[in-house]
Amino acid sequence: MDFDYLKQKRILLVDDEQELLDMVVSILNEDGFQNIKTAKTVGEAITVSETYQPELAILDVMLPDGNGFDLMERLKNTADYPVLFLTARGEDDDKFRGFGLGADDYMVKPFLPKELLFRVNAILRRSYKAENPLVKLRDSEIDFERAEVIKNGEHISLTAKEHDILAALYRNAGRIVTIDALCEAAWGDNPFGYENSLMAHIRRIREKIEANPSQPVSLITMKGLGYKLIVEGK
Amino acid sequence: MKSVPKLIRRFVGIMLLSSLLLIILNFALLGIYTLNQTPNSSPWITAQEVADHLSKNENKYVLTETTALELQNTNVWAILIDNATMKVVWQTDNLPETVPMAYTAPDIASLTRGYIDGYPTFTGEAENGLVVLGYPKDSFWKHMWPSWDYNFIANLPKTVLSVLAINISLIFIIYVIANSKLLKSVKPIVSGIQALSTNEEIHIREEGLLSELAVNINKTSDILQAQSRQLRKRETARANWIAGVSHDIRTPLSMVMGYAGQLESDVQLSENNRQKAAVIVRQSKRMRDLINDLNLASKLEYNMQPISPERQNLIAVVRQVVVDFINMNIDEKYTIEWETDEELTSCTANVDKDLIKRAVSNLIQNSMNHNEQGCNIFIRVVAEDNVCTIVVADDGVGATDEQIEKLNNTPHYMVCDEKTTEQRHGLGLLIVKQIIFVHSGKMLIKHSEYGGFEVDLSLPMSV
Repeated sequence: MDFDYLKQKRILLVDDEQELLDMVVSILNEDGFQNIKTAKTVGEAITVSETYQPELAILDVMLPDGNGFDLMERLKNTADYPVLFLTARGEDDDKFRGFGLGADDYMVKPFLPKELLFRVNAILRRSYKAENPLVKLRDSEIDFERAEVIKNGEHISLTAKEHDILAALYRNAGRIVTIDALCEAAWGDNPFGYENSLMAHIRRIREKIEANPSQPVSLITMKGLGYKLIVEGK
Repeated sequence: MKSVPKLIRRFVGIMLLSSLLLIILNFALLGIYTLNQTPNSSPWITAQEVADHLSKNENKYVLTETTALELQNTNVWAILIDNATMKVVWQTDNLPETVPMAYTAPDIASLTRGYIDGYPTFTGEAENGLVVLGYPKDSFWKHMWPSWDYNFIANLPKTVLSVLAINISLIFIIYVIANSKLLKSVKPIVSGIQALSTNEEIHIREEGLLSELAVNINKTSDILQAQSRQLRKRETARANWIAGVSHDIRTPLSMVMGYAGQLESDVQLSENNRQKAAVIVRQSKRMRDLINDLNLASKLEYNMQPISPERQNLIAVVRQVVVDFINMNIDEKYTIEWETDEELTSCTANVDKDLIKRAVSNLIQNSMNHNEQGCNIFIRVVAEDNVCTIVVADDGVGATDEQIEKLNNTPHYMVCDEKTTEQRHGLGLLIVKQIIFVHSGKMLIKHSEYGGFEVDLSLPMSV
């Protein structure tokens, strides 16, 4: 699936260190992001956002004239778009984890370029769906909007649970998603004891998406751990 | 505060026991005293003996010699009053002159009950008359009118018991009142001392019997509080200092890591230069891990790390860590094998999920750090006897028995106040130990069955 449209998204980057701003900009540029504006203070960030209308904000927590949390609230008051925090405060891990703040993700400095890019791309993919939402697999395509699979020209609908499981796998395409995370995606917060149901759903999903369900190539089992969805072109 | 009721029970027990012992002792003493007071057992028996040993020989009365001697030794006189004449027909030689020689019936009644001329008298029945013994004045006191109401005698056991019971109750009441006053003043002292041992701040009222003690306990509490405040302040300062330093290092390190990461994947650079960039990335990561570890270790050590335990399926928690490592595209030199029994789908424990994830990550990272040539890492969760055990093992270089012994038993330099030359470095295992400790679990380091290193983390299962 083509994610080029995401590279056009307007990104607002706020940090008080000019060198860090330069570095992040260069990392994002290298990955293809074109529209990036930076700000070094809360005041500057607000001014920039008024005209720039960002579609993603990457914010430092500690800024010279305030903190990133307050800034996020003020930014989100005008328009709702995803926010990624970049913080040097490792001990804030737990506070962030609660995520009552409405942030979409957070990263603790220092970070590797690929870690930052993974998160930025993941947030954008989640927040901005493609106009053509077909996900290409080896033997079929998934249309999440319509909750159906297209295999050999045939439209096969997905049940709600199958849709949730596939969506969770797709969000982490190419990576293993644990059995527990898939159960949680399908059955909610208390996903104990659904392992067998999950296996049954996986079997049915394979029948829909794979050419040969007994030898799957798109939905791979990682024994004891979980499953991985292989998406073409990713 | 279990000790005060216990104290009361003990006081009452001692009181009742001592009352009982007192009664027994009194009776025993009385018995011994009474027995010792009458060596001449009973004068009534002596009188009867005299009567029996008096015999009439040719109109003359004769007393056996031994009995006569006995009377003489005890300075007792004796007479025989004839039944028919009511006159004295026999007498001992020491008969005082004031003793009458003839008697009337009222006289007999009187002497039987009491005295003749101040001499206590006792009678014995002889063949033809009445033998009267006269003991020295002041040797016996006689009860002249020995008669009691029949009911009084019949109820005597009951009466005695009631009197005893009343006595004991009275003593008991006095005791309880006296003791409760004491206990009332002891109670705050006891709770004060108990609170002292838990290092709580206390202030007890400085009044009553034990006010001096209360004053001292308050003083001790103040000193302890001041000390622990001081200690806490120092610990907080140290943890904050570490947090501050690690915070300040993060931003510059971001730039080192960020640019090195970019260079590492820059296709325009020569392979040689990209390798150099890769080394910078790797070493920056080590620094990042060290900063994170240092910060967490100091917080755990000084109890500044917020812990939020919740019921978690440890299998899911550990599985997520394993998957995160695999997803991170770790070096191909390392493989991670998930070896948990497939039948075991859940093993719940009350834990802080993030800390446990951190502990398991540290163990996996530890295996990698110590096996640069690569190794296979084997991870499983085992449930046994209400304990969940997370096993992280590898088939790498392992450690010697001596090293394992040291790792299990030597304190880390961060938490050791003794010599620092021969100590362990790296914080990975220390953090694991601290995390397991705050979860009331156990960490065991040993040789793995695969020939390398193994660490077992045991946590109590929650029901």
